[in-house]
Amino acid sequence: MELVYSEERHRQEARELPDRELAVQARAGDMLAFEALVLRKTPAVVSVARRIVGNAEDARDVAQMAFLRVWEQLARYDETYSFNTWLYRIATNLAIDFLRSSRSRQKAHTATLHLVRLREEQTGIETSRAAEDDSASRLFDRIAGRLTGKQKAAFVLREMEDLETSEIAVILSCGESTVRNHLFNARRILRKEIERVAPGLAGRSGKKR
Amino acid sequence: MILSCSEVRDRFDAYGAEALAAGERRAVREHLGSCEACRAEASASDSLFVFARAGATPVLPEETAGILAAVRTGIAFKKAERRLESPPVRRRMGKLFSAAAAVALTLLVPGAPARRSPPDAPPAEREAARRSFVPAGNSAPAPAGEILEKTGGARKYPADATIYDFSTGAGEPRVVWIVDRSIDI
Repeated sequence: MELVYSEERHRQEARELPDRELAVQARAGDMLAFEALVLRKTPAVVSVARRIVGNAEDARDVAQMAFLRVWEQLARYDETYSFNTWLYRIATNLAIDFLRSSRSRQKAHTATLHLVRLREEQTGIETSRAAEDDSASRLFDRIAGRLTGKQKAAFVLREMEDLETSEIAVILSCGESTVRNHLFNARRILRKEIERVAPGLAGRSGKKR
Repeated sequence: MILSCSEVRDRFDAYGAEALAAGERRAVREHLGSCEACRAEASASDSLFVFARAGATPVLPEETAGILAAVRTGIAFKKAERRLESPPVRRRMGKLFSAAAAVALTLLVPGAPARRSPPDAPPAEREAARRSFVPAGNSAPAPAGEILEKTGGARKYPADATIYDFSTGAGEPRVVWIVDRSIDI
């Protein structure tokens, strides 16, 4: 009974600790601290992974892999850096890898699908569907397929998660200028896609940037 | 930083071009989060503003619990994997320990009965203790692997101990295992 009480108290205390401290405790082998981090960070990790891989089921798989990778690499965690950045770095890289592998698996299938989509566009089916879809998230899922993994990750982290370009550079292991380049290209491609699939939403964005 | 509607609208182009300072950018996003008119104006100016207000995808508590359970299982597997990967090291260590034990026994066995019996035991009892290790007529070493049950005699050693003699021949170091089942580990 005493043990149960102590564990519950430990869990409650863990919930109030900052990420970095929890990570340090987890690194020292405290599983309750690690689980508190998993519970706290799951929504953010799933959200980012969901934007990059494009569906909730794969995003949950990526989140599981990310937390497992975090547990495996805890010994390498340096508490002088933000835990969030470290976690995003692991999760984003896994999501990009996942996207790459699933894209290569679907290559043959996509070639056929592309032909079907072209035919749909010609008959206006696709355009009318897009006009009915007022959800930004669903719109993004539909048009972001043209982006590379890094372009997509950069855009998601910047525009949807509101991270600084310097932080995104650390997450994507590249320079800030490269991040800005990814963002520039992502915006250009996305604008073009919106014009294509949902001209009603495009507004004055026909401007070329 | 708080910006008025016109100040926010003046910054739409700079927002899309990544030309705003962090504070200004945050102020624009916060304003768009609460001002419907500016949101409409922003989307009309640049369709990508639609994503600026796309919040995090909600994750249900059941999903979070499922992910935690999967991570726990994954960690258990990883730990099991690590244990399975370690046997070569353990085997090496085991061999070392076996070798050390063999050496220890080799050194101990010839004099063991005498040494293990109480130092002040009478000569007859000491001889009985020695016989409990060395079966009668074992002047020549026993064949390798022959199992020698404890034959009784003086109870200097537990009755449920079994002695395994792995000696290979005359002149070779004597190797004996003693399995003592009375020890509860």
